[in-house]
Amino acid sequence: MANKNTKSFLDTINVFKKNSMTPTLIIVYILMIAIFASVNPLYISLTNIKSILATISISGIMAVGLTTVILTGNFDISVGSTLGIAAIICAKFYNIEGLNLPIGVVILIALLAGAAIGAINGFLVTVVGINSIITTLGTLAIFRGLAYFFATETARIYYKPFIFVGRGYVFNNVPLTLIYFIGLLVLMYLVLRFTKFGRNIYQVGANADAARLAGVSVDRTTFFTFIISGATAAMGGVIMASQLAFAQGEFGLGYEFKILTICVLAGISLAGGRGTLVGVLVATFILGSISNGLALADVPIEWREAFQGLILIVAILIDSIRVRREKLLRA
Amino acid sequence: MQDINTKKKGLRLSDTIILLIILGVLVAFFTLINSDFIAYNNISTMLKNMVLTGILALGLTPLMIARGLDISFGSSISLISVVIALLYTVGGVNLWLALIIGVLVGVFVGFINGLLIESFDLIPIILTLGMMAILQALALVLANTFSNTYSILVMTDPLYYFATRTFFKIPYPVLVLIVLVIVYWFILAKTKVGRTIYLIGANPTVAKLSGIKVKKIKILLYTFMGLVTGIGGIIIVAVSGVGMSYHGKNLALPTLSAVLLGGISLMGGSGTVAGTMLGVLIVTVIFNGLSVLNVPSYYIQLFQGLALIIIVAAYEIRNNRAAMN
Repeated sequence: MANKNTKSFLDTINVFKKNSMTPTLIIVYILMIAIFASVNPLYISLTNIKSILATISISGIMAVGLTTVILTGNFDISVGSTLGIAAIICAKFYNIEGLNLPIGVVILIALLAGAAIGAINGFLVTVVGINSIITTLGTLAIFRGLAYFFATETARIYYKPFIFVGRGYVFNNVPLTLIYFIGLLVLMYLVLRFTKFGRNIYQVGANADAARLAGVSVDRTTFFTFIISGATAAMGGVIMASQLAFAQGEFGLGYEFKILTICVLAGISLAGGRGTLVGVLVATFILGSISNGLALADVPIEWREAFQGLILIVAILIDSIRVRREKLLRA
Repeated sequence: MQDINTKKKGLRLSDTIILLIILGVLVAFFTLINSDFIAYNNISTMLKNMVLTGILALGLTPLMIARGLDISFGSSISLISVVIALLYTVGGVNLWLALIIGVLVGVFVGFINGLLIESFDLIPIILTLGMMAILQALALVLANTFSNTYSILVMTDPLYYFATRTFFKIPYPVLVLIVLVIVYWFILAKTKVGRTIYLIGANPTVAKLSGIKVKKIKILLYTFMGLVTGIGGIIIVAVSGVGMSYHGKNLALPTLSAVLLGGISLMGGSGTVAGTMLGVLIVTVIFNGLSVLNVPSYYIQLFQGLALIIIVAAYEIRNNRAAMN
């Protein structure tokens, strides 16, 4: 009896959804670690593991935000530029002469700016009705241009508490950034699974028309996911500025690839409505570990970028094959 | 029935007229600010700049009418230019052979794009986004491995003549564009293939049911997009005299803006070669005008993004209004 009870309890938790890609990903991850460790034993040293954990958080946090957008069946490829502009806003507001804004306020301004960019994207997509990829392709260029405009020279931030935000450790070994990432992931996981808003997101992505008929405000739901995505991208920008103690216009260049790859690899279906954040957690670790492993194996940066594009393409192929198989099973 | 038809025709005509008015206003505006704008030198520079955007936009036109999309052409051009330069300058291969191989690289990339998208039902923009990363990286890797620089000189007489000499006062690159415009216009407006492409875009399911091999035709269109990308690669090598791994970096946004401005819809099924060329003209005038006014480069990027959004938003708002009426 007790046994049966625990089983049903596990069923109700069901962290790995049925047909989930996550178990496969975990196996791939373990194999990968074994390969990289055999190429360079330093790979599994404590210092390197710490550095992997500290660096993956930025893309992880952004992937959590982007996931909500993709779940509604939309895209946001302006996240890299949002990161850049948030980092520069941090640096510029901190350096305003004679104002001496408290660092908390500066960070809050940067996050609000990110949310505002998300709101612009959301407005263009839901109210004006432009395709989300074209919208964010446009805002990607606009905000990258603005980032270069504001950061004509590198802006430094030498302020210990601010640097601690991105470089600090808890218990000497756990990076603070990892705690932000896991905290945000757990929070969003709970929101997606147990709140009305979360269920709406899945419904909008699975079938927008049906959701509308069921009384879900499709536009409002989509709008808020873009705001979440913008705000998380800004979080990435704040952390990056704090880790490097400066900000410049190039920050976040090409991040849209990275984040999109994480989401697709995590099994967040590009058609919308399918996938969980557990996959995002594993995929973030995998991609972070790959780029770290390739760097330790002395692979040149261009090859690493090519590899990333390759992973993206393989991941979307897998996604399409899974969608097709599901359709066949349903028919 | 007749009423609806005439109404539709009136709408399309007014679209073209609106675009022409915009073009006229822009030219007048830039000329007022800087009278050099309509000098012969600037116009010929502008036409040369227009060639590349124009060729790529032409390739995109049938593809987007049939609901396809390719944004990897920028990186593809970088790769092609590097391949040509490496073969000719470093490898010592015959120039014509190098050019042909360059074009074949483009064709191959286009074919792979089409094959993957059509056989796996992928979202075109996402696959070509991944392709863009791979091709850009390949261009960098090749240039770095074989010559240790980002730009490789290509010094040849034929390419130099091609880029600088004129045929009855028309620069050769412009001539290539004109020929391609005529070919594309003829195919889209006058042949059965053209009508098939419109049908695929208007309703893929109906097209499939009526016995059209939708996938094959779309793969062919992607391959042709690759072909024009290859031609674009040759032109950029000829005009600049170098093969460079960043050649195609800022091509995607202006080209997409031009095509969308010309009246091609992301939903497929609509658009004409004439509209596309008007779009290309307007976009070229805007960006050339901005650089004549000595606007810094980051503003240009900003304007590129703004232009794309404003163009698509304007069409969306108009469509929404039409739907309401």
